[in-house]
Amino acid sequence: MIHFWARHIAQLLFVIAFVSSLTFFLLRLSPGDPAYLLLTTTGVPVSEDALEHVRKELGLTDSLGSQYVQWMTDVFTWQWGTSYVSREPVLEELLKRLPATIELAAAGLLVMMSVTLVVGISTAIYARGWLDRLGRALALLGSSLPSFWLGFLLIYVCSVQYGWLPSMGRGTWKHLVLPALTLGLGLGTVYARLLRSNMLAMMKQRFVIASKARGFSNSRIFLSQVFRHAILPIVNMAGTSFAFMLGGSVIVESIFSWPGIGQYVMKAISLRDYPVIQGYVIFASILFVIIHLVVDFISVLVDPRLRVR
Amino acid sequence: MRKSRNTQHAFVTWITAFVLVLSLVGCSTPTKQTIGQGSNPEPSADPTPAKTLTMAFSWKPASLDPHGSDGWEVLRSGAGETLIKLNEQLKPTPWLAKEWKQEDETTWIVTLEENVHFHNGKKMDAPSVKNSLLRSMTNDPTVKDLLQVKSIEVLAANQLKIVTEKPNAALIAHLASPSAIIVDTETIDQKDSYPALTGPFQFKQFNEDESLVLERYEDYWGEKARLSEVTIRFIADGNTRVMALQSRDVDAAVDIPIDSIELLKQDQNIDVLTAPSLRTHMLMFHMKSPFFAELAHRKVVNMSIPRAEMVNSIMRGEAAEANSPFPDVLPFGKIQKERETQTVDQLMKQGGWEKNREGIWEKQGKPFEVKLVTFPQRPELTVMAEIIQNELLKAGILVHIRQVENIDETLEKEDWDLSMYSMLTAHTGDPQYFLNIFYRSTSLSNMSRYVSPVLDSMLDQLNQTTDQAKRNQLAVNIQKQIQQDLPQAFIVHPNTIFAVRRGVKGFTPHPVEFYYIDARLDVNE
Repeated sequence: MIHFWARHIAQLLFVIAFVSSLTFFLLRLSPGDPAYLLLTTTGVPVSEDALEHVRKELGLTDSLGSQYVQWMTDVFTWQWGTSYVSREPVLEELLKRLPATIELAAAGLLVMMSVTLVVGISTAIYARGWLDRLGRALALLGSSLPSFWLGFLLIYVCSVQYGWLPSMGRGTWKHLVLPALTLGLGLGTVYARLLRSNMLAMMKQRFVIASKARGFSNSRIFLSQVFRHAILPIVNMAGTSFAFMLGGSVIVESIFSWPGIGQYVMKAISLRDYPVIQGYVIFASILFVIIHLVVDFISVLVDPRLRVR
Repeated sequence: MRKSRNTQHAFVTWITAFVLVLSLVGCSTPTKQTIGQGSNPEPSADPTPAKTLTMAFSWKPASLDPHGSDGWEVLRSGAGETLIKLNEQLKPTPWLAKEWKQEDETTWIVTLEENVHFHNGKKMDAPSVKNSLLRSMTNDPTVKDLLQVKSIEVLAANQLKIVTEKPNAALIAHLASPSAIIVDTETIDQKDSYPALTGPFQFKQFNEDESLVLERYEDYWGEKARLSEVTIRFIADGNTRVMALQSRDVDAAVDIPIDSIELLKQDQNIDVLTAPSLRTHMLMFHMKSPFFAELAHRKVVNMSIPRAEMVNSIMRGEAAEANSPFPDVLPFGKIQKERETQTVDQLMKQGGWEKNREGIWEKQGKPFEVKLVTFPQRPELTVMAEIIQNELLKAGILVHIRQVENIDETLEKEDWDLSMYSMLTAHTGDPQYFLNIFYRSTSLSNMSRYVSPVLDSMLDQLNQTTDQAKRNQLAVNIQKQIQQDLPQAFIVHPNTIFAVRRGVKGFTPHPVEFYYIDARLDVNE
């Protein structure tokens, strides 16, 4: 167990050092002067003196080497720099927005898994029936509908036409329904298709036939054998999707004015707020490593064979 | 077999129940809201309920510090005030400063209103205003450029002497800049309270990226606010702003996308309001480009721009044709359009160009082929670029459009001939700052590389002239010179578009982009 944790922590530190350096240099190579963008957000032209003043203030006139050393020191002293725009510590800024992002990602995951399980299992049971055809059509729609379109459609129907739910913002559970549906529906229908085909494949396995021959009930075979085997790839994929959702769902957050990390980072990118972009990349890297760790654990729990491996 | 069917039936029943529960949860009782209530109104025991209003803004402040990049948002919220305000004719009028006079070329005496209190109850006086102005100049270099202040001296409890580094006739107008909001500087860094300003509303709650709640300031020095509370929701997406208005989640919205105007006009519960803006969409010429160093070629392009069609089609009538950097709404913005006496063919043939078989102008075997850059942040500019490309092709000029993410960085390089651009040209109602930054031969923001000693000397004259009528005339003369030299072809001055639900009163669209909320804003009970 100690070896397991040591390996993963070393992996995490390497990932942080690597992505921090890569992001730092890529950002410096990309076009855009943060000082200029910061001063011209209102559309008023600026003088060279004003630009020079802000560049100096932001430390952009220092040599690239000293900027890099400063940045790496910030990373490993757990500070992650200060935002050019708000002048607040980046880590604090990201953590402030994390609850909203977790809330949306968890709700999105719930919708996604509900759709996956309900549609996946029902279409597997009624394979080649009308429900299966409906499931296929839904999967096709889910994979081809862009989330911004689905989001606007849901707002139009549920908020503008019928006034059932708020069109934007965060607050009560009602505010969460439409963004969560937008986030989870599409992926859910696609994963449902995958679950269905996995389950159908499992039903043909010898151990299922043997269980039937031994007189086990259909529901027992279904839940304890077929479903357990079929869900494993879905857990892995759902873990990655959840990590993406936690990284901030830019489009959904933007459509629903959801105050999460995605919108915040988009603004930072448009204004070339280097410390925020760099901090976000580290944050996302840590998140992905942790989520993969959790997924590994769940997989081991679901499939005992992995423990032996 | 029977067992299997039973399992299927049980499963269907379970699914049906699950879907029903989900539907009931999702589609519960409609949340009908009335005008003047926030998105989550609490029942009130008060027989005369407080009047509140919710507005949708497109930009969100990163902080409530008025000195810096968020000054515009703070002024828009109705919480802040400057010494000077621009009226609807864009003339400087008293606000926190009740009067002013110029003693000599560089010295101004400003007298302040006497009964003004900051939101923390502290009296606004000359020392606090001095501290505020000094802080704004330190934190925002644009304010330093605008004011050019050498020193500020307190003459009396309500009087300041402002000395500028050089004659700055626009000082009074520039004091209307949102970044020069007057704040009690001691409250800026306090973690447990918001900055204390002087406006009719004070900050109640700031939810970053989400909303800003303001409440009426009861000790306001002027006419008290009619609303007890205003909530500003930050909605970056234009379509979401429109739908939030349609669904009654907000009572008013700013920056309505042009495409949505017709839709909103059909809604009987919504009024669409417009005001001319101080923005100009233009086509810039690279004056060092081999094609546009020649005035005749710039004239050909300028003549080929179908401004009226652009106003009607792309801008849906919500813009005015432009022939100078400043819109007509400004006292120096009305410039007579000069009629070109020569045709495109005459202008081109004089320069030795001949049309080839494809109908493209050609000289010494080289076709008239230019690069036009545009950028995605203002989508209407890309559509305009395509129309210009088409019109120039008809006129015999080949245009290759390139969309770049960062237009200013591209313009700093030499690899372009034409560029779409958009600028706020007179945000303080005065022409001096923009003209000096954008046209002076030595300025690095002079993107067209336009060099004109004549114009430079006219700018010097403008900077030193204090008489308003003479300044306006000089600004007109400068624009005529620009029209003659044509470093840019001005296309349109777009309108700013707002939409409010019926029942919202006192919302007057203003050409200045930072006067949105004031004490007169009201709603029907």
